[in-house]
Amino acid sequence: MARTTFRHRTKLSLASAAAALALGFAAWTGSSWYAAAHDDSAHFARTRDEVLAAGEQAVLNMNTLDHRDLERGLDAWEQSATGDLLDELREGRVEFEKQVRTARTVTTADVLSGAVTELDEREGRAGVLIAVRITVDPPKKKPSTKESRLLGELTRTGDGWKLSGLGQAPAGETPTDTPSD
Amino acid sequence: MIAGLKPRRAAQAGTAATGRDADTEEQPARGRRAGRKGRTLLALVLAALLLTGGTLLVLADRTAHAPGAANQALTDGEQTRRVIADISDALTTVFTYTPDDLATTERRAHDVLRGKAAEDYRALFGKLRRQVTKQKLSLTTRVVRAGAVELTGGKARLLVFLDQRAKREGAKATTAAAQLSITARLDDGHWTITDIKAR
Repeated sequence: MARTTFRHRTKLSLASAAAALALGFAAWTGSSWYAAAHDDSAHFARTRDEVLAAGEQAVLNMNTLDHRDLERGLDAWEQSATGDLLDELREGRVEFEKQVRTARTVTTADVLSGAVTELDEREGRAGVLIAVRITVDPPKKKPSTKESRLLGELTRTGDGWKLSGLGQAPAGETPTDTPSD
Repeated sequence: MIAGLKPRRAAQAGTAATGRDADTEEQPARGRRAGRKGRTLLALVLAALLLTGGTLLVLADRTAHAPGAANQALTDGEQTRRVIADISDALTTVFTYTPDDLATTERRAHDVLRGKAAEDYRALFGKLRRQVTKQKLSLTTRVVRAGAVELTGGKARLLVFLDQRAKREGAKATTAAAQLSITARLDDGHWTITDIKAR
């Protein structure tokens, strides 16, 4: 009887030790996971990558348009935009549709490179630089490509980061200069 | 069933098994069964804790070493500003020359270009030199915007938008817009360019 209690006790203490170890292990890994997940700079890095991905996708969307499927193309434009840019797009949509229908062009784009230049997490604003190659395929003519350098401004919305401004990087701004091309 | 129970049962089988006997025999069996249940439960809980711990460990590692986490572009503001300033400066001077002062440009190129970028530049400059003096060509480069794509340790990749204004003596100047992908390396506290690719 004494022997079984002893054995029982040993088993019990072994079991509790194992339980304590397992609990400790779980607690330690839990805290290190928490620390990693709530690391400020890691979070900032994640947001930066999100912004870039959203910016590149939005630029891609807004440089892609097929005259045979204008509705879907322009809806994608609007889904990529917010704020002033969205207002502009909506305002010009009818006129623009008419132009593309007459020109019957198919436009596609490739993002060559992109970088985030500013990111204000608290304000939910960011700036990106994106280099794209745009190919315009008009009917009965050879497609033409051109490289374009774009500056985008993104704003965080309830539905992710969206472009609130987009334009070409200014060229030839030096006062004495008059762009000749 | 536990093997140890069998012989005792067999021994009792010969004698008349009273209800009391059956009871006393049931008791330890139930206790053991409960013990077994407890043990199984404990093992399950331990396994669950270990599994949770292991998963959390993997998650923590993945979060800390996520592809984006090592990239310090923008997360290290000071270093990002430095690499952008150094590289913008380097590009401006390397791609700016006048026919009378090619030597300065070349010397500067020697300071800031390394590896493939240095080789490419030497090849280009070798061809250009004669043209520049003969046609009195001058080039002025201005960085419009630059951003860090990636910054890890002493290495960086940048996207640079620049304007190049070329002028031949007696002719009108022309401006060309360019976008370059730059690979850079920190060398003795200064960022140097190891590769230049037109985009």
